[in-house]
Amino acid sequence: MKDASPAARFWAEFRESRTAVIALAVVVLMIGIALLAPLVAPQDPYDLANLSLSDARRPPGFVGEGGYTHWLGTDAQGRDLLSAILYGLRISLQMGLVAGAFAFVLGVSLGIGAAYAGGRREAFIMRVIDLQLAFPAILLALVLSASLGQGKMQLIVALAAAQYAYFARTAHGAASAERGKDYVEAVLSTPLPGWRVVLRHIFPNCLPPLIVVATVQVANAIALEATLSFLGVGLPVTEPSLGMLIANGFQYMLSGRYWISIYPGIALIVLIVAINLVGDRIRDQVNPRLKR
Amino acid sequence: MSDAPLLEVTDLTTHFHTRAGVVKAVDGVSFALKRGEVMGLVGESGSGKSITGFSIIGLIDQPGRVEAGSSVKLEGRELVGLAPSDLRKIRGKQISMVFQDPMMTLNTMLTIGTQIRLALEAHETVSGAEARRRAVAALAQVRIPDAEAKVDFYPHQFSGGMRQRVAIAIALLHRPKLIICDEPTTALDVSVQAEILAEMKELVAELGTALIWISHDLAVVASLADHVCVMRHGRIVEAGPTLAVLTHPQHPYTQSLLDALPSRSEPGKLLAGGVGSDIAPPPRLARQVPPAVADAVHYVRIEHVAKRFTQTPGLFRKLAQKAGLSKAPTVVQAVDDVTLVLKRGEALGLVGESGSGKSTLGRVAAGIYAPDHGSVRIDGSAVMSAGDNPHKVTTRVQTIFQDPFASLNPRMTVGDSIAEGPLAHGLVERAQAKTYVRQWLAAVGLDPDFATRYPHQFSGGQRQRVAIARALAMQPDVVVCDEPVASLDVSIQAQIINLLIRLRQELDLTLIFISHDLSVVRHLCDRVAIMYRGRIVESGPAGAVYDHPQHDYTKRLLAAVPVLPGTATT
Repeated sequence: MKDASPAARFWAEFRESRTAVIALAVVVLMIGIALLAPLVAPQDPYDLANLSLSDARRPPGFVGEGGYTHWLGTDAQGRDLLSAILYGLRISLQMGLVAGAFAFVLGVSLGIGAAYAGGRREAFIMRVIDLQLAFPAILLALVLSASLGQGKMQLIVALAAAQYAYFARTAHGAASAERGKDYVEAVLSTPLPGWRVVLRHIFPNCLPPLIVVATVQVANAIALEATLSFLGVGLPVTEPSLGMLIANGFQYMLSGRYWISIYPGIALIVLIVAINLVGDRIRDQVNPRLKR
Repeated sequence: MSDAPLLEVTDLTTHFHTRAGVVKAVDGVSFALKRGEVMGLVGESGSGKSITGFSIIGLIDQPGRVEAGSSVKLEGRELVGLAPSDLRKIRGKQISMVFQDPMMTLNTMLTIGTQIRLALEAHETVSGAEARRRAVAALAQVRIPDAEAKVDFYPHQFSGGMRQRVAIAIALLHRPKLIICDEPTTALDVSVQAEILAEMKELVAELGTALIWISHDLAVVASLADHVCVMRHGRIVEAGPTLAVLTHPQHPYTQSLLDALPSRSEPGKLLAGGVGSDIAPPPRLARQVPPAVADAVHYVRIEHVAKRFTQTPGLFRKLAQKAGLSKAPTVVQAVDDVTLVLKRGEALGLVGESGSGKSTLGRVAAGIYAPDHGSVRIDGSAVMSAGDNPHKVTTRVQTIFQDPFASLNPRMTVGDSIAEGPLAHGLVERAQAKTYVRQWLAAVGLDPDFATRYPHQFSGGQRQRVAIARALAMQPDVVVCDEPVASLDVSIQAQIINLLIRLRQELDLTLIFISHDLSVVRHLCDRVAIMYRGRIVESGPAGAVYDHPQHDYTKRLLAAVPVLPGTATT
């Protein structure tokens, strides 16, 4: 324990919470099956040749013309829902992670840069970010994706633009605290160039709170993407994410064909809850007040 | 009522059951305390002295536990195993406690009067007027001037010493039979400490309260306590009358604690308590051999340096100031026109109490802060660049900071921390960096294999050695040491002082040594400069200043230092 690097100690402590380990396993599993979707899915939902309208809207457990059981039923086009969810998960995760990464890089650079620069530049950057935080993320994302048009890249830009401010705020707060610490003054008095101080000293020490924000924001990005796709302004129809699957089944809800909406919904909830549980655990670990 | 002990502690054992195993913080401590007696509990950090205090009053939290078989008897009544509600009736009423940091124990959101009233109401019913009258009386008792008005102050309106007096006033409210003070003067300046010690002595005599004074400072305990217990590793290694223990210690540990004190040793000599390593530092790197020194007498010139801190008002505050809603920002003149000249190889001690500007001056000299006015030159070349956005341009001056826990990047191995500067400045090639780091770790008395470890794996003293290695690996000619031993235990302090003495000689370093501890400065420095409110009030050869202080402030400062009995300079 004592001889381990900070990362190894972090993992040893993380492991103590069984909930968090299970949640992490769920996240890893979902990422895994999303990556391997073409291999594990019973059907390729994009291949129209596999679809048959006579199989449409069948309940879970139905054995279709393809000769295999539709464990979660089929949708309005006769598409196997399990396969559609696996492929949808792929797109949702991809959107969440890529948008989260963009937001992370942009927000963290702005936040730490502002904290390091200080003075007017800091004030300007942070006021712009405060201004943006005054608008709900969903509103910004809606406006942006509506004006940028449909498409993966456009949606990523919209999601990242709606979320980078959270990273910037957190990074700024953490970096301002680190900036005044002795070890930063020590390297400044060596002296080392500014970029080096920021990258090798300030940034790594700001990481714990940023990792927490990152997990939560990836979950938020996935939810946001699902919302936008549900409303029809997110991804094009050719990229059916979980949100779009839910939207597709929505009209059948009241006619008793619950599975078309509910199962993608459950997949989405499980994914978001699992990511949030992992994030909660990391936050508890990072919070010095809860330290034993 | 006469000779029966007030407090009888037998076999007190407090263990902490942690993930890493059982930590025996207090391991079978026994002592007895008579009415009105003052006992000093001395030990280094981790010796279990504070936990002993907390155990007596029942303030041990999970995962800590006072183990079975322990006994704490107050006037014959067993306190171990008492229900929390019963303990609460005793706490504050019969036994009260004063902690190290009064800012942490006073509620910043309530006035002093309210807090005293709450403390009163914990054990009795009092009317508002009565509570106020007693609050004023309590403050007056601890010599707070103008108590009538001060009752309505908030803690932040008091100085550190005043806050500690308030904490003592609250502890005395119910006339407890016993007060446990846990390092109550450690965070205070020497002159304030001297006042509080004198007052505490009077109060204890006046009220007949017994006192347990927990401290790491032998001299403080000596000035107050009737008898002392020296603790180490959760056990009492030596106990007895103060004078006997301090002048004729029986246990080798007590002896080594006393030997580690710089005040008991001849200035400049290695301290007996801190056995150092004998590995020589690596030789000066060829390309870093300093050029011929142009002016060895005026080697470091700090000329008319001034530094003030202002809070630059934002847009809204500016508007508010214009409208008269907000006051002009406070300006702190930290350093006010200081001129100092150091000879090459000289060690200058910069002494002052907190807020005197000594750290700011040190940071200006080290090129961390740009002065508002004046300049710092080493051998004729400026430390910082000129212009609007000045930055440090030389590596010839390096810094060692006070807190070794804060001054090392927790996410870098110590080897990387030491190698980073020299690599960035091309002092060593990447290929030789490992060997270079190992040489320096050996030179500061650490195992060279420690290079791959992280700071959290080291003790405070070891970290300070790493910090010294990091500063010296830059091949500086001048080193600014900002309280490098202030946060260390005496025995560790002695080792670090020895290390600095040795390295200074071997590397021909010029030292600026900042400290509030007069005895350390006397031991290490050739010359001292006394700082007070941003100015240097007196400077000269160490011996002369200490023996014949000229300025009133210097005299006061020297008089406030607690002295050990039998401190004969041998």
